[in-house]
Amino acid sequence: MGKKKLASLLLASVMLLLSACSVNMGGDEPKASEPKTSGTEVKAGAQKVVFWHAMGGATTKVVDQLVDNFNKSQDKIQVEAVYQGTYDDLLSKLKASMGTNEGPTVVQMYEIGSRFMIDSKLIAPMQNFIDQDGWDVGQLEPNISGYYTFDNKLYSMPFNTSNPILYYNKDLFKDAGLDPESPPKTFEELKAAADTISKKGKAVGANFAIYGWFMEQLFANQGAEYVNNGNGRDSLATESLLNSEAGVKVMTWWKDLIDSKAANNLGRKTDDSKKAFSAGQVAMILDSTAALKGLVDGTAGKFEVGTGFLPKPADAKEGGVIVGGASLWMMNNRPDEEQKAAWEFIKFVTSPEQQAFWHINTGYFPITLKAYDQDSVKENLKKFPQFQTAVDQLHNTKLNKATQGAVMGVFPEARQIVEGAIEEVLNNKKAPQAALDDAAKEITSKIQEYNRTVK
Amino acid sequence: MGCYNKIASAVIGRGIGLPSIESVLNVKKTKSRMYKRNILKEHALAYVFLAPSMILFIMFLFYPMLKSVYLSMTITDPRGQVAEFVWFENFAALFKSHQLYSNLSVTLMFILYTVPTSLIWSLFLAAITHNKLRGMKIFQFIFSLPIVISVGTGSIIWFLLFHPTAGMLNYFLSLVHIGPIPWLTDPAWALMSISLMTIWMNMGFLYIVLSSGLQGIPEELYESAKIDGSGPVRTFMRIVLPLLSPTIFFALIVSVIGAFQAFGQIHILTRGGPINSTNVIVYSIYQDAFVNFRFGIGSAQALILFVIILLLTVLQFKVLEKKVHYQ
Repeated sequence: MGKKKLASLLLASVMLLLSACSVNMGGDEPKASEPKTSGTEVKAGAQKVVFWHAMGGATTKVVDQLVDNFNKSQDKIQVEAVYQGTYDDLLSKLKASMGTNEGPTVVQMYEIGSRFMIDSKLIAPMQNFIDQDGWDVGQLEPNISGYYTFDNKLYSMPFNTSNPILYYNKDLFKDAGLDPESPPKTFEELKAAADTISKKGKAVGANFAIYGWFMEQLFANQGAEYVNNGNGRDSLATESLLNSEAGVKVMTWWKDLIDSKAANNLGRKTDDSKKAFSAGQVAMILDSTAALKGLVDGTAGKFEVGTGFLPKPADAKEGGVIVGGASLWMMNNRPDEEQKAAWEFIKFVTSPEQQAFWHINTGYFPITLKAYDQDSVKENLKKFPQFQTAVDQLHNTKLNKATQGAVMGVFPEARQIVEGAIEEVLNNKKAPQAALDDAAKEITSKIQEYNRTVK
Repeated sequence: MGCYNKIASAVIGRGIGLPSIESVLNVKKTKSRMYKRNILKEHALAYVFLAPSMILFIMFLFYPMLKSVYLSMTITDPRGQVAEFVWFENFAALFKSHQLYSNLSVTLMFILYTVPTSLIWSLFLAAITHNKLRGMKIFQFIFSLPIVISVGTGSIIWFLLFHPTAGMLNYFLSLVHIGPIPWLTDPAWALMSISLMTIWMNMGFLYIVLSSGLQGIPEELYESAKIDGSGPVRTFMRIVLPLLSPTIFFALIVSVIGAFQAFGQIHILTRGGPINSTNVIVYSIYQDAFVNFRFGIGSAQALILFVIILLLTVLQFKVLEKKVHYQ
């Protein structure tokens, strides 16, 4: 009996231990094995539309709510939302479904998948529906629709949009004798501030996750293009410009921060960087605007979160940020009726009311200008004044080829190569110029291989 | 392969189902014709019984194998469809790039870190829990526990332990005034950390296999060794190890093949990074084929891996099996 009791006690304690391990594993990696669907009550004779998306975690609920709002708003169309995992997972699943009848009608795709979607020849440009319907594209935020416009055609409908901002701990700034109301704007100011905080010894000055997206943003912020041929927008890109002056500047600065202990290296996961910031272990981080609500809520009562623009070198050319996030693509292998129904759904989610709801609950920008007139958005900005930074940063950005964003078919892979190069520099394996040269060469060869297979 | 022959000869030696050669020679001709028909029938029956596994093998082994040979000579478009047949271009590109060699050496290091340590560690645990002392069952339970944990769950547990800021391991180190170790973010540490976790994962299975191997050694041998004045170490080295060698050999082969195929922990903990320091060949195949949809180069790597595992396994059987003592 004694043995049995002991064994069951042991088992119970193990289970308790396992259940205690439910720490958040990172917003970029939502774990869900079964696709969740919403809007289960099927209406008789309604046109079914399948919508695949990659909005995990708390955002899934918001997407489901949007879909539910649409399904309840009319009785001719029934949208079924299916969560497919991370953006990368979604892309893999979409590729696997292409050429079969199992795929979606509408699919959400991250911005760096845009070139692939066009080259796949399996999508219908959103512009077709816009023209047929006489829909006014002017209501979209121009800096956002710019990304998804190729040859003056809007290929996909922007859906969730973010950009990177500087988050800083106002208390640590005050503590180190810095002005908590003026965040550093340039690389040089950031270095000075980080140094001061690190020397004070309470926390490390800064941490940037090794995330290729930041590199793309820091290029655009210097007005520099990432690939040739007008950032891949005049014609297919054939060469990576990663090893240009802009890149070397970023890497030299970043390495200097690490070497002088003004910043530390916590690896590739933005979530680890966020965790260290929330715990007060680092004073400044870079992250997407979509992280704002979580950070402000998570640090309530501990310290005040400040937000600033993405830094740039003092002598940088005029630039700005590129919109990140994802957009909605229409697949062209579905019957016309179904595509039309899907278009109705897309129009619905881009309406100011729905965008306001989306914006408040997720932290992504509203994609339509009119959403800012909604009372709920105004109230939200009052409650989270930090959000104004992101909005200002977006509106201050001048749209040119650099800030419109680079396009290349192998973007997801290129991002990994860039992250490898950053690691090589930060770990003293290679000098900035050498690491970027090698990475640029590798990306160029991948681009050319890609161009060889799409004709 | 040697051991299969031995099993086969043992089965045939006992003459299960088959008449012995002498009895066949002694029967009359008419009987032999009937016998031939019987044989034919038996063969047909054998094929019927074999059919399900043959069909499965063809579907999931031989066909994919041939297909990957074909794919290894093509390049695919971003959707993964064959765009061009290029003969051996992929292999040439692989052998020219330093990436393949770096991935192979990472794989080799990973095997060297994990296989001997897991084997010795599990053998050690099995040996010390072999004594029938009170409370030993609890230790046996604890040491075999990792076998019930999937790689995914195990990796997440270790992910939390290794976490750079919230991790328990660094917390324990801070208690003895050692600064935080960049377990997964420093290329010098990452492979070591993954190996540590893998050794723990391997422990469950190897412990059970080796323990049952130990239990197969007759008690009398220990007793007579004791009477002859042999100490525990000598008994272990001279009697237990040789008798355990078939089990150890099996555990070795399985661990080496398992180490070659390690994927889950790498995918969850490091994704091959930092700076490819944990990019084992299986992970690189996954990246190329299923993330970037370049099935050509992925298949080429898979074939190279296949040849390497085949050669190593043959080598292990040819060289090491001579040292194995079958009773």
